[in-house]
Amino acid sequence: MTGAATVAVTGYGLHLPDADLTADFPFLAGRIPPGRACPPDQAHVILGRKGLLGKDAATRLALCAVHGALRLAPGAARPAGPPDPGTAVVVSSNLGNVASVVDTARSAREGGRRAISPLAVPNASSNVVASTVAIWFRLGGPNVMVCSGATSGLDAVALGTLMLRAGRARRVVVVGTEPADDDALALYRERTVPASPLRAGAACVVLEPDGPPGTPRLGLVRTERWPANAPSRSRLVSWLDGAAGSELDLAGMCGDLYGAAGVALVALAAGLSGHPGADGVVEVECGDGADGGRAAAVRAAGEDGPGG
Amino acid sequence: MSVLVVSCVARTCLGDDAETFAALLRGECGVSSLRHFPARQLNVTSGYQLPRQRGEPAPYAGSWLAGCVTEAVRRAGLDPNRQRVAVLAGTGLRELRAVERWALDGGAVCLEDLHFTGPVRRAAPGVTSVLTLSNACSAGGYALALGQDLLELGEADAVVVAAADTMTESMLAMIGRFADEPADRVRPFDSGRPGVLLGEGAAAAVLVPEGEAAVPPVARMLATGLSCDAHHETAPDPDGIRRAMAGAFERAGRAAREVDVVYAHGTGTVLNDPAEAAVLTDVFGSDGAGPLVTAVKGAVGHTSGTSALTSLAMAVHSLRAGVVPPVVGLREPLGEGRGLRLVRDRPRSADVRLAQINAFGFGGVNAVSLIAGPP
Repeated sequence: MTGAATVAVTGYGLHLPDADLTADFPFLAGRIPPGRACPPDQAHVILGRKGLLGKDAATRLALCAVHGALRLAPGAARPAGPPDPGTAVVVSSNLGNVASVVDTARSAREGGRRAISPLAVPNASSNVVASTVAIWFRLGGPNVMVCSGATSGLDAVALGTLMLRAGRARRVVVVGTEPADDDALALYRERTVPASPLRAGAACVVLEPDGPPGTPRLGLVRTERWPANAPSRSRLVSWLDGAAGSELDLAGMCGDLYGAAGVALVALAAGLSGHPGADGVVEVECGDGADGGRAAAVRAAGEDGPGG
Repeated sequence: MSVLVVSCVARTCLGDDAETFAALLRGECGVSSLRHFPARQLNVTSGYQLPRQRGEPAPYAGSWLAGCVTEAVRRAGLDPNRQRVAVLAGTGLRELRAVERWALDGGAVCLEDLHFTGPVRRAAPGVTSVLTLSNACSAGGYALALGQDLLELGEADAVVVAAADTMTESMLAMIGRFADEPADRVRPFDSGRPGVLLGEGAAAAVLVPEGEAAVPPVARMLATGLSCDAHHETAPDPDGIRRAMAGAFERAGRAAREVDVVYAHGTGTVLNDPAEAAVLTDVFGSDGAGPLVTAVKGAVGHTSGTSALTSLAMAVHSLRAGVVPPVVGLREPLGEGRGLRLVRDRPRSADVRLAQINAFGFGGVNAVSLIAGPP
């Protein structure tokens, strides 16, 4: 158990229906499909129609992000066969099953137990996204659901790294996803710290001990003490080409992805890699005064960079 | 490798961990009429609930968790301001009860109430990170696994592994939706088991690296094996369970024949008990030479994400006292369990050196832990 302290980010996917990613982040052009990602109710365009009945919005968004990170073409069939015990799944989401829980409780109050759809059963448990990703893509390794608030996305990334280093998996699919349905939006308004408006979206990064030359490498996720009154923050600071850092305020640009933010930041940092002049360190951080802060460094390798 | 368990506390409907263990030995069942919920409408009329203390602030899971964390840290002699102490809090249902009350009854909630960072930081100021793992009914087992990993990789000086669960109206509605008749109690591994009932509870354990205990350890944590069935959202799959057990033995460097007692998951449901019993029979054989098998849910209910740590606390008492409590509520074992040495009716004295703790959750998330007596 003396795994290296850095791991390779061998794949990434971003699925943000309310943002035009290639316009906001030109470095992503040619790397993700252009234009806006489909909303949860159109997820069949990416995933195919079969199996989506009863799946909540956070789960649909998550599946789309993983589909992209595994480099499956839109509409391409998902893997079949026995589960791969060597691939773990870590998902971060805070609001994912809130609407399902409220709906189920409300239905039971109003119409009695028979009013509840059997399809809603798995959604009562908060880990439904993580287990659905495992079932959908046949991933049988450890399966973890993290619901830690504003730091949750980088908490999930930290656990992904931990499981590689501990020899629990040889590949980890890390996902962050949040819905923005009415219940999620209403609950989000009960936040005690200042924050950007909630936006629906999902992101995925694939972590492995090593990747091909030029693969970006992720360092250990650090815990930071932020003052209790610190507003919510999710941002990326790049130190490319040795120039002064340029800051990218993800929440300011796209709205707050909350539990998905930390994963989206690592995905964006990985997306910077491989560009001319992208040989340097990208710092990402997310959190707020209530939950504290988490930060990590991604070493983005340029076309001629040292990479791994 | 292994780490030390320097404290382990639990709270169930039967009391603290010592009181719960004593009640288990007496074969007591902590079930009562379901309070605080529209029982008839939900078709769930019984539950294993904690008393609400006078003045105890809602939401409750965080408050119970904080109580256990405070006590575990105190007993372990930890100082989070001087050591890097990480906290992993497992839960099945988070504070979703508070969200239901907010949505349906106009109760107050803040977004940060959903997870346990706030209660843990107030209970143990100075801790580094607080992660809430919502891994259904194996959350506590997952927290044990990842806590041991953090220590073995040097990412923390000590880890508090904690868990807490209350009940939600939505989960009760799901249980009632599929029950013909409301269950009156949980009967793990019984041929006539009426189904599952939820239990409320909380637990916390402090893990430190070998040689780093400030107080005499209560057990040695050998390893936890993890897996996901990747099979079905709610039905367990024997292959996934088997992989988690094999992982635990491999990581611990132990063999199945060395296990003296299994604290089984034993939910008393139609699906879990036959699958679990079949795998246990597979792994340990049915020739009477296998370990004693017990389960706590007949006495304290299904405490969801807290289940693994409730069993851990009871297993620690078994290591110390050399006695294994019976499966409360078990009358006639189900067919798949006939080859197992299920402890029935009264406690069994045993030289317990190696104990196994099973925890399986919705979504096919499995955690199997192995603990041994303290060095």
